[in-house]
Amino acid sequence: MSRFLFPRWSNLVLPTIILAALTIPVYAVFFVAYGFSPKTLEVGYQPKQPVPFSHALHAGELGMDCRYCHTSVEKAAHASVPPTQTCMNCHTQIRPQSPKLADVRESYETGLPVEWTRIHKLPDFAYFDHSAHVNRGIGCVSCHGRIDKMEVVYQKSALSMGWCLECHRNPDPNLRPVSEITNLAYDGATELTQTERDALKKKYHISPSEDCSTCHR
Amino acid sequence: MIPKPPRVLIFLGVLAGLAAIVPPAVIARVRATPDENRAVHMFFDMDFQPKFKTQAVNPLFADGRAQRYAVAGTVARGETDLDTHLHQGVVNGAWAESLPAGLEMTDAFLARGQQRFNIYCSVCHGYAGFGDGTVNKRAMELMANAEGPVYGTSWVQAKSLHDPVVREHQLGMLYNVVTNGIRNMAGYGAQIDLEDRWAIAAYVKALQLSQNASLQDVPTELRDNLKKGNLQNGEVK
Ligand code: HEC
Ligand code: HEC
Ligand code: HEC
Ligand code: HEC
Ligand code: HEC
Ligand code: HEC
Repeated sequence: MSRFLFPRWSNLVLPTIILAALTIPVYAVFFVAYGFSPKTLEVGYQPKQPVPFSHALHAGELGMDCRYCHTSVEKAAHASVPPTQTCMNCHTQIRPQSPKLADVRESYETGLPVEWTRIHKLPDFAYFDHSAHVNRGIGCVSCHGRIDKMEVVYQKSALSMGWCLECHRNPDPNLRPVSEITNLAYDGATELTQTERDALKKKYHISPSEDCSTCHR
Repeated sequence: MIPKPPRVLIFLGVLAGLAAIVPPAVIARVRATPDENRAVHMFFDMDFQPKFKTQAVNPLFADGRAQRYAVAGTVARGETDLDTHLHQGVVNGAWAESLPAGLEMTDAFLARGQQRFNIYCSVCHGYAGFGDGTVNKRAMELMANAEGPVYGTSWVQAKSLHDPVVREHQLGMLYNVVTNGIRNMAGYGAQIDLEDRWAIAAYVKALQLSQNASLQDVPTELRDNLKKGNLQNGEVK
């Protein structure tokens, strides 16, 4: 019986194992950081809505101001999604019999709300306030992206604590005059000089807080 | 020189290397394409608490609204509408000609009115009030469709605010139009705050004046400049 001899190439096994031991953890860390980040798990959430309502048409092409529908955004923490009556300001006369508006019509007749699927949702332990941002020169576009180009709304930002803090630590690039809040095409980073931004900061008394109790109350 | 390992092992090694590229590629694709299977919660922590936030759904009520309407007929403190001037724009049975007590015709008040007008009214009436807003234009196109109005569209041209009839409207009547609407125009009482509705009415008056001003309306010391065309935004260049 001949003795078993390891073939000569088995000398490669040890370096291979060392190489694997070095790369696999790096790979695993990368995989978790990249794949399990809120940018993968949350950004891009685009649920199907009961009515094919298009922001690209209403806010983009027709140029309607966000506040025509989201009336409470400057006054309250919550940006209200409009009631059916708001749609019916126009749609009792514009395409009233369109099949795309069937659910809106039904809601108008029965008084039951249209069941829009909620898109942006912070965990219930975090507190957010629209009016605090919108009245201090932070525009919708900084957090929601170019809504006026979306046929169907999707979540553009991670809404993670890191994302909130990134801006609270350095709000400068996102500042704009309050008159341009709903102008999504306006880009404070290019339209304003640093001196103008400093002036805005002073005018609106901006010094965002990093205290835990600001957002966890 | 170390001899080559068997083919199978090289093959498996290369395969593992290639397979390692797949997950990042999938993730990159997921990141680039919005869809409805998102907002994955790895750990629930206290993300969903048994409480109702604004505009949330509560299945216990037949209409699903967690936010309840006040029982019909209830009047909250400070929410009476007994001041006919403030709430209806009526003084002694006639349309009010002035602002109600507490509101003042200042630059800031008119600027507020302008901003609110541009948000709520300009889509139909146009920024200058000539009835040429984007929605009005689109709706008129739907009316002019060759095969008849699209899906039962029945649009009435949004009135020019410089129409002689509309120019006659008193401040109180304009406030009433904004609040309750008129004929084919819906009311905006639910969307716009009380004071802002008065601000809009005041701004409409200013807008009307701006299109129908005579030289006499201009302060004497500015008239010469105006004639030379040097007046901009109310200030001499
Ligand atoms: C004609 C009315 C209308 C206008 C104008 C409008 N919206 Fe909306 N918006 C809606 C309705 C209805 C929904 C709910 C359905 C949906 O998500 O598409 C909504 C949803 C949203 C959402 C997602 C809410 C959620 O569930 O998380 C955001 C963000 C938003 N709008 C931002 C904007 C911005 C920014 C503008 C201005 C550029 C704007 N909207 C203009 C009616 C409007
Ligand atoms: C200020 C007027 C206005 C308001 C308010 C408004 N819309 Fe529209 N909507 C329009 C116009 C104008 C069109 C385009 C009609 C066209 O060109 O075919 C339109 C088109 C639509 C369409 C497409 C209809 C079809 O048959 O193609 C849908 C769906 C729609 N709107 C839903 C809504 C909903 C839901 C709301 C309330 C959140 C709303 N709209 C509020 C003016 C309005
Ligand atoms: C500083 C970032 C930020 C800005 C600026 C901002 N939003 Fe939001 N928005 C959010 C976050 C975060 C949520 C989710 C809130 C929650 O879950 O409680 C949200 C939710 C919403 C919703 C869903 C209803 C709600 O309040 O939860 C609407 C509608 C909306 N935003 C519209 C707007 C509009 C219109 C503007 C501009 C006038 C705007 N937002 C500006 C961050 C922002
Ligand atoms: C694009 C910039 C930006 C982002 C993103 C942002 N904030 Fe802010 N936030 C500000 C600014 C600016 C202020 C006003 C600072 C001040 O009051 O001095 C502010 C103020 C606040 C306040 C204080 C309100 C008060 O009553 O004083 C809260 C709460 C808050 N932010 C929560 C959040 C949360 C939660 C998020 C993430 C979901 C967030 N913010 C994301 C810019 C931002
Ligand atoms: C600008 C607002 C803001 C401030 C300031 C802030 N947080 Fe947060 N925090 C958030 C938001 C938003 C989330 C939710 C992120 C998510 O899970 O989507 C969060 C999540 C957390 C979580 C994670 C909970 C979980 O299990 O996922 C912890 C723990 C936390 N915060 C602790 C703190 C502490 C401690 C501080 C003070 C040093 C602090 N936060 C300050 C906004 C803030
Ligand atoms: C959805 C489109 C629309 C919007 C938005 C709108 N209107 Fe109108 N408005 C109309 C139409 C259509 C008429 C003509 C009604 C008729 O003749 O049946 C009208 C008529 C009027 C009139 C003339 C009333 C008369 O006596 O003839 C006034 C004044 C007026 N609107 C003011 C406003 C103001 C102020 C706003 C903003 C709060 C506004 N409208 C918003 C469509 C609109």
